[in-house]
Amino acid sequence: MTYRVQFEKELEDLKIDLIKMGDEVISNIKDGLKSFLTMDGELAQATIKKDKIVNDYEIIIEKKCLQIILKEQPVAKDLRLITAVLKMITDLERIGDHAADISKMTIFMQENTKPYTVKQMALMTEASQKMIKKALDSFVTRNLELAYEVINDDDEVDEYFLQVKKIVAQAIRNNEIDADYALYLMMVAKYLERISDHAVNIGEWVVFSILGEHKHDVIF
Amino acid sequence: MKQFVEGAFSIENLTLFYGNKLALNDINIDIHNKQVTALIGPSGCGKSTFLRTLNRMNDLIPNCKVDGSIYYGEENIYSQESDVIDLRRRIGMVFQKPNPFPMSIYENVAYGLKCQGIKDKNILQAAVKKALVDAALYEEVKDRLKESALSLSGGQQQRLCIARAIAMSPDVILMDEPTSALDPIATAKIEELITELKKDYTIIIVTHNMQQALRISDYTAFFLMGEIIEYGKTSELFSHPKNPKTEDYITGRFG
Repeated sequence: MTYRVQFEKELEDLKIDLIKMGDEVISNIKDGLKSFLTMDGELAQATIKKDKIVNDYEIIIEKKCLQIILKEQPVAKDLRLITAVLKMITDLERIGDHAADISKMTIFMQENTKPYTVKQMALMTEASQKMIKKALDSFVTRNLELAYEVINDDDEVDEYFLQVKKIVAQAIRNNEIDADYALYLMMVAKYLERISDHAVNIGEWVVFSILGEHKHDVIF
Repeated sequence: MKQFVEGAFSIENLTLFYGNKLALNDINIDIHNKQVTALIGPSGCGKSTFLRTLNRMNDLIPNCKVDGSIYYGEENIYSQESDVIDLRRRIGMVFQKPNPFPMSIYENVAYGLKCQGIKDKNILQAAVKKALVDAALYEEVKDRLKESALSLSGGQQQRLCIARAIAMSPDVILMDEPTSALDPIATAKIEELITELKKDYTIIIVTHNMQQALRISDYTAFFLMGEIIEYGKTSELFSHPKNPKTEDYITGRFG
């Protein structure tokens, strides 16, 4: 039962927009990596173009948040929710940038660049995509445990990154990998590692939206 | 052993009936000295009734029955020995609608002092000036003190009523929605004044404006159906209310 039907609807809309933005971002990471692994320049171009949708979502959601603050003067959990959304979209937007960055690596590659398969790259991508999805799910369902899970999941991605680094270093020593490709591969791996860091940030804002604490500091 | 604090209220098991209707049910709170305490809650929840118990304004209502005790300092204000007239001098009140007397600005402020028997013109003049200065009204009215108080704007009238209360040198000022009839600028002036006044007075204010409670009060009590559901620091109550009913009220949702 609520007396603020419109307000309630606006908050629900905000969550839906956030999920949609998250879906776009996740899809761009997937396509970005696919373009890299298959050296598909067209897919890379398309993925870079799609980042605009992500950027637009950020602006739309920002506007909605400010309108809600202006009109509804939210307090307590409502204010935490809107603040968390405003913070989370910054991280989502950055993740979107990294998906575009990965696609740019594809475009930088020459046609004659010889690829080198590192199976951890796919695993890393999958893990970081899952973290984003989990973080947004934990926000919408106000699931604190799930948010903490996201924060811990980062270790897995970091571990994959170290493995990739090791494998690439070994491949360089063994002269098995094209020098340019090795560099691009490490860049992509680093972007994926950064993406999971941003997912952790989102998880931390979910914790804030529920407890008012951010990295163990009570801020509201 | 109970600790009594001068200028502070300690309310114990306060229950109030209007006839058969229970208006306040077992209220137990301590109100802090020289702080602003806001009373919030939906209409009919008992917050104004509670405010009026603090200077026994409810005595004037027939069939009103009060149980429990209200200590002001170490005095139980509902005891036989308590002097109601003196109590209301020490605990002044400002109402929702500005209610100046139909007399001059000067006379409005001097009225209470004259009732007390003060006749010395110089003393009266000084006291009126000080009260008007403290109520942040003096500069606006100093050249027309002889004019009717009713010629003032709503916001000025309300500050005049505050000056009238201050002139009696009270310890406490009770305010029952003092800005609900005022425009935003007049409201801002009163709010600023309240923040200034709390250096010298204990202020208890009933307000329907949650943002106002947030801006000016140190403590907030949330009333619902004659009970205090939650009482605590304003910053806490509006960020992390402990009771779901409080959260439902302040966020505009009722359970």
